[in-house]
Order: sequence, then structure tokens, then C-alpha cells
Amino acid sequence: MALLRYQTANLFRSHRWILPLMVYALLISVGGAGSGEEAGSGQAVAHLRAQALASGLDWSAAIVLVVTALLTRSMLTAEPGAARACVAAARGPGRAQLGTLLTSFAGGAILGVAGAGYELVTMGHKTALLVPFFDGLGKVLVCAFVGSAIGTLFNPPVIRHQAAALLSTIAAVVVALVSSVSPANAAIHGNGAAIQSAAWPAGVPLAAAFALVAVSWMVSCWLAGRRSD
Amino acid sequence: MLLIGRGTRPWKDWPVRLISVGKRYGLRQPWIIKNVSQEIAAGRLIRLAGPNGSGKSTLLRIIAGAMVPSAGRVAGRPHTGYVPERFPPALAFSAHEYLEHMGRIHGLPPTGVRAAVDEWLERLGAADYARAPLRTLSKGMCQKVAIAQALLARPGLLVLDEAWTGLDQAARGALDAAVAERVAGGGIVLFVDHDPARLADRVDEEWRFAGDSIAVMSAPARQSPRAGWSAAEAGPAPQTATIEVTGLEEASLDRVAGLAGVLTVVANRPLGRVLVTVSDAASDAVLRELLSWDGVHVSAVAPRADQSLSGQPQPGETRGAAEAAR
Repeated sequence: MALLRYQTANLFRSHRWILPLMVYALLISVGGAGSGEEAGSGQAVAHLRAQALASGLDWSAAIVLVVTALLTRSMLTAEPGAARACVAAARGPGRAQLGTLLTSFAGGAILGVAGAGYELVTMGHKTALLVPFFDGLGKVLVCAFVGSAIGTLFNPPVIRHQAAALLSTIAAVVVALVSSVSPANAAIHGNGAAIQSAAWPAGVPLAAAFALVAVSWMVSCWLAGRRSD
Repeated sequence: MLLIGRGTRPWKDWPVRLISVGKRYGLRQPWIIKNVSQEIAAGRLIRLAGPNGSGKSTLLRIIAGAMVPSAGRVAGRPHTGYVPERFPPALAFSAHEYLEHMGRIHGLPPTGVRAAVDEWLERLGAADYARAPLRTLSKGMCQKVAIAQALLARPGLLVLDEAWTGLDQAARGALDAAVAERVAGGGIVLFVDHDPARLADRVDEEWRFAGDSIAVMSAPARQSPRAGWSAAEAGPAPQTATIEVTGLEEASLDRVAGLAGVLTVVANRPLGRVLVTVSDAASDAVLRELLSWDGVHVSAVAPRADQSLSGQPQPGETRGAAEAAR
């Protein structure tokens, strides 16, 4: 808990959250404007609204992936090596690393939920929209997982070369969004083995994304303390 | 998450043990330190000495738990405070905020954190800068913050990598006093410092880095009896032999440590009996070499590592081996 508090404070104080937040707000508002027009020009029928909300949430889930990957990257590169070593001496290098990863994931996930809430509020007639809303939240979670896994696997201590880390992070984000083997892509487009139940999305994409993020965190925590800064 | 679980436990009167510790940064990289086995008893003040790049900082980081060794392990480590060689001011906190966070991370109770932070900033003479952002602090002031974070929770193991560098006179004295306090309380303190006179009258052991191995010099006055550990506890015993030598001169200790196959050299001041641990494969060659030196007498050969300084020579039967070798 103390570790999470320290990392969260570090995140806020270092202003590393500003760029991801601005990217997020910008893209959400662009997407939101699009879906709002669609709903307005339609016949104000409930299922059209639901469709509009679903597409809005798909959009915001995709953004969450980008933002979580960015946030994880900036957190992993933010803390100076010596400060990290002090924390590692107190709590172990693995735990110190996990604190960083959890904080950045939580940041991305909170943004995602807030964005989904924003989409819902701007739609009105909330009761009819709860099913697509929870469906959308499941997608947001999948994308936060995948974004965190990408940020973890393509940045220090796994990839230490600065330029290589940045380029591979961007490339992986693009691949995760467009490739059909990506759980994020499956979740967003709802094709293949997509989320079955809307209320509690326990589908394959979620499981796959969770497995991916668990493995990436383990690799990162294992390498932390084994590699030099 | 078994993978990242790690054993820090409350300080008990057990020794910290380095068991065949080695470190290299990659499978094709050379070993920076190799096969270091030492036992550190409670209440010891230990200095690590050696040229730049000999692996002192790496070993300190491993003992502090900030780095995981590539081979072997460190057992029995109590709660640890670590002062790194260079403490960067790149964090976006004020000194006080940073130390409060570190106090909580070190497990201090919420009510005790502020008091502990105030106390250590005061002792180190940094109270006036408590609210200043870390990035505006001078090198010396940053160093005080780094020292304070390590001492906040009064750790059982304190590891100082050139912690005195950049401090003013008063703060150096305060750090000396803090080190003495830790040792008096049964804690272990390991340090590296470029000034050979640093705490010279208080140091219990000096670990000298020579080639691949470490020579351990022990001050005579402060030796405390300490228990060896059983082979079962230590895991599979490394294939080593211990040679007991008398008649060595201090100047030739480094030469002994530099011989191929020598793992550790343990000696007391004034120089009497010296224990040389060698890998099994090299034991014959090292024995022959030592016997060829003037005035050097091999008094016993034991078939396994004996790290205990105060331990008695191995039973009489092993003397036979020494005589046979002669």
C-alpha cells in the first residue's frame, strides 16, 4: 500500500500524467462528438442510442489501450535508478516493480471507466443503456490489460534501448488494435470468440488479456534487480 | 505471486549469510564478483576495500537486496536500509514528502513517520531544507536525504555506498554516530568509502577485493564468538577445501588471494593463523605454491569451507593430509 501511494504521488507530482490525459481527453471528445451526431440525426430510438453508445465505448476502449501503454512507459522510465534501489532494498526489487506497474495500470483503468461514464451520461435515457454500458466496460478492461502488457514488455527493464523501446511500444499498440489475433481487437469488434455475457464479460478476450498482462508483469518483476540500470 | 516474494523479516540475532554469491550482467558477460561466501554476525561493522571497478558497489547492492545475484543467494537478511552511491534529485517531491513516503515503505507506523523524518533531518542538519523540492537541493543536501531514508526505520542491516561523500563536517559526524548506534544495537553496517581512515578504529572486518576473491581482515579486539552454520542449512556444500596457514606476512595476503582457485582468505590482526578457502580442483596447486614460500607453514587442510573465524582447526586427521602434501 505504501508503495502504491508513493508511486501514485510520484506520478502526479512528476506531471507524467498530463500527456496521456490530454491524449485521452482529445481522442474521447473527438469520438464522442462523432457518436453524438449520429444519435442526433437518428430517429431517437432507444436501440440506435444503444448502438451509438456501444460504438462510443469501442472507441474509448481503443484509446484506453494507447493511454495505458503510454502511462506504463512513462512510469517505468520516470523513477531514477538510485531511488528505485532504495525502495528495492526496503521491499525487494520485484515488489518495487509491481508497485510501478499496478499504479500505471490503475491510472489507465480509472481513465477508461471515467471515459465510459462520460459516454453514458452524454447519451441520456440511462436505464435502457446499461447492457451496452457494462459490455463496454468489459472492453475497456481488456484494453487496459493489453495496454499495460505492451507498456511493460516493450520498455525497461525488458527493452532498455530508449529508441527501440519507444518505437516498439508504438508498433505494438498499432498491432494490438488492428491485428485479428489481439484480444483487444477481438473485444472491440466483438467478433470471433467475443464477450458472451454483457453483464459480466467473462469471455475469451478478457481471459487472454489477463494472462498476457500477468505474464508481462512477471517478466518485468523478475528482470528488475537482475539487470543494471 | 511467488516469483516476487522475498524474505525480509524482523531483525533477529542470526547471521546474514552470503552463499556462493556471484553476479554478471548477462550470460556472455564476465563475472563481476564470483563465489563469495561469507557469514556476517550481528553487531559487525564491515568495510569493503578495493580499486574502482572491483565489484564493491555490486556486492553492496546485492547484500542490500536492491539487486538479485546471478548465482547463489543472501540468507537471513534483516530489514535493510541502503544509501546508493549517487542519489539523484530527479524526484518531484520535497525532502520531507519523499522521506515520509520512504518511512511508510520501510514499514513505519503512520503515527511515527513524521517524527522519524523530523528527527533524522534534524540530526543530519537538513531541517531547514525539509520543504524544499529535491531538485533544488545541492549534492550534499541530497546526500543527507538519501542517508535519512535509509536510517528512518533503524534497519538491522545498513549498507552505505560512499555515503560520506559531499557531506559537511557536522553531517559526517552525525553519520558516524548513527553507524555506531546501529552497530551497538546489534545491527550490521557495511560500507565503502574512499577515505581509508573512515571509522578505522571501529571497523571489525575489512573485506579486500583482490582479483576474483575477497580477503577478510579481522580486527582482533572486537571479535565475537559466532556460530558456524550447518551444511544442511547452507544447502549443498560447494566443492572447496580450506587450508590453514601460518607465517604469512600481511603484504603477501593479496598475493594469496590472487592465486588461481582461491575463493576467500580469512585472517586476524595481528596476523597468525590464516584460513585460505580454495576450489577443490585448485587445492593441490595452491598448496604447492604456499609451501614453496619462505617462512610459510601449512598447519591443516580441511575438506570443506570453514568460514568461521573463531572456529577451531579441523580434527587431527586432516593434518595428515597436510603432512602428506608436504
